[in-house]
Amino acid sequence: MHNIEFALEGALQVLLVGLVLGAGMPAVFALGIRAMAYGAGGDAEVQQAPPHPVGRLLAGLCFAVVVAGVALGITVVVAGGFGKEVVFDPVLPTLVDEG
Amino acid sequence: MDAATLILVLVIVTALAFDFTNGFHDTGNAMATSIATGALRPKVAVALSAVLNLVGAFLSVEVALTVTNAVVNLQNSDGAPRAELLAGGGENLLLIVLAGLVGGIVWNLFTWLYGLPSSSSHALLGGLVGSTLAGLGVSGVNWTGDGTKLDGVVGKILLPALISPAIAIAVAAVGTWLVFRITSGVADRYRQRGFRWGQIGSASLVSLAHGTNDAQKTMGVMTLALIAAGQWTDLEAIPLWVKVSAAAAIALGTYLGGWRIIRTLGKGLIEISPAQGMAAESSSAAVILSSSHLGFALSTTHVATGSILGSGVGRPGAQVRWSVAGRMVAAWAITLPSAGLVGALMYVVGNALGGALGGIVVFLVLAGLAGWMYHRSRQAPINAHNVNEEWDGGARPQRSRKNVH
Repeated sequence: MHNIEFALEGALQVLLVGLVLGAGMPAVFALGIRAMAYGAGGDAEVQQAPPHPVGRLLAGLCFAVVVAGVALGITVVVAGGFGKEVVFDPVLPTLVDEG
Repeated sequence: MDAATLILVLVIVTALAFDFTNGFHDTGNAMATSIATGALRPKVAVALSAVLNLVGAFLSVEVALTVTNAVVNLQNSDGAPRAELLAGGGENLLLIVLAGLVGGIVWNLFTWLYGLPSSSSHALLGGLVGSTLAGLGVSGVNWTGDGTKLDGVVGKILLPALISPAIAIAVAAVGTWLVFRITSGVADRYRQRGFRWGQIGSASLVSLAHGTNDAQKTMGVMTLALIAAGQWTDLEAIPLWVKVSAAAAIALGTYLGGWRIIRTLGKGLIEISPAQGMAAESSSAAVILSSSHLGFALSTTHVATGSILGSGVGRPGAQVRWSVAGRMVAAWAITLPSAGLVGALMYVVGNALGGALGGIVVFLVLAGLAGWMYHRSRQAPINAHNVNEEWDGGARPQRSRKNVH
C-alpha cells in the first residue's frame, strides 16, 4: 500500500509545519498580549503590577512576527493561484514558478 | 434544444447549487468560534467570511479541471473527457456528473438539517463515485491510484479523513496549552480583548483558504461538463462566466450562513473562549494551508472540527462534549457511502428513463428532497438570533425568546 506511506509522509510534514505555525503563531501572539499587559500594568495584570514601558516594545515585536506569519500565509494562497510557489531558500521565503 | 444540451444546463444549475451548499455548509469552519465568543456579531462574521470566500475564489486561477480524477476515471490526465464516454453528445457523462452532484447536495442538506459539519468535498466526490459505479462499473472508479502518488478513494478520501482530525487536534491542543500558559498572569478581561483580534485575523485566513480550495472544485466540474457537451475546448483555461458564477454561488452560500452547523461547532463541542478560538483557527489555517501546499489535500471541515476539539483538550479544566464529536465522526464515516448511494440511485433512475426526461426527473427529485429538508428545518429554525443560545444537548434548540416576542 503505497498510499499509506505517502499519507504518513505528508501527515508528518503537515504536523511539523502545523506545530511551528499553527501553534507557534498563537504562542507568539500570546507573548505579545503578555508583554502588553506587562507594559500596561494595573488592571491588566492579575498581580496589579506597576506599568513597564518596555512591555509595549516587546509586544510590538511579537505582533510584527505574527503579522509577518499571516502575510506569509496569504502569499502562499495567492501565489498558488498564479502558478507560483513559495520556497524557503534556505530560510527566507522566495517566490518561484511552480515546478 | 437537444437532450444533451438540456442535461448540460441542468448540470450547470446543479453544480452552482452544490457550490452554494458548499458555502453555507462550511461557514462555521471559519466563523463558528468568532460567533460563539462574541468577537464578531453573527451577521458581520458571515459577511466577512463571504467576502473573503469571494476573493479567494477569484485568486484560484489555477486550472482545476482534473478534480474528478482523484476518485473516478471520467477524464484523461490532461482533463479531457475520455473519448468513449462522449457518444451521443456526451449525454452519459453528463448524467453521471449530474447524478453525482445530486448525491453531494442531498448529503450536504441532510447533514445541515441535523447540524452536523461534514466534508462538502467528500460529499461531492462520494456522489461522483456512486454515479460512476452505477454508470461505468467498478473499473470506472479510481480506488487506490497507480502507486506513484497519494491518489484514489483510499489516498484522497479515506486516509486524509483518518489523519487530518488527529493532526488538527494535536496542533490546536499544543497552541491552546501554550497560550494559556503564557498569559496566566494577565487579567481575564484584558486577555479576552486581545485574543478577539487574533481570533478575527486567524478566522479570516481560514475563509480565504476555503474560497481558493473549494470554489475551484465546482469550477472544474462545470468546465468538464461544458467540454463533454462540446461547448468548450480549451483544457488550459476555465470560462470567465464559470469562474464568476461559481465564486458568487459559494460567497452567497457563505453569507446565508449554515447556522445549524455554526451552532454545533461553536457551542456544541466546547464552551469556547477567545484564546481557544484563536488557537483553533490558527491551527486550522496552518494545517489547511500547509497541506494544500504540500499536495496532501485535507478537508477543511475535518481540520476545523479537529482544531476546535483540540482547543478544548489543550485548556486545563475544559470540558469536551465527546458525544457530540462522536456523532460528527459517525457522519464523516458514512459521508462517502451515503452520497455515493444517492448518486448511484440518481444515475439508475436517470438512465432508465433516458435522455432529457431522465435528466429532468433527477433534477426534480433533487428539488423535491431539498424542499422537504428545508421545510423540516423551518420547524426548529436556527438563525443569527438564536445561534448562541445555551447548548441543550441536541442540534435543535428551542425557539429563541427574542423571536417569540
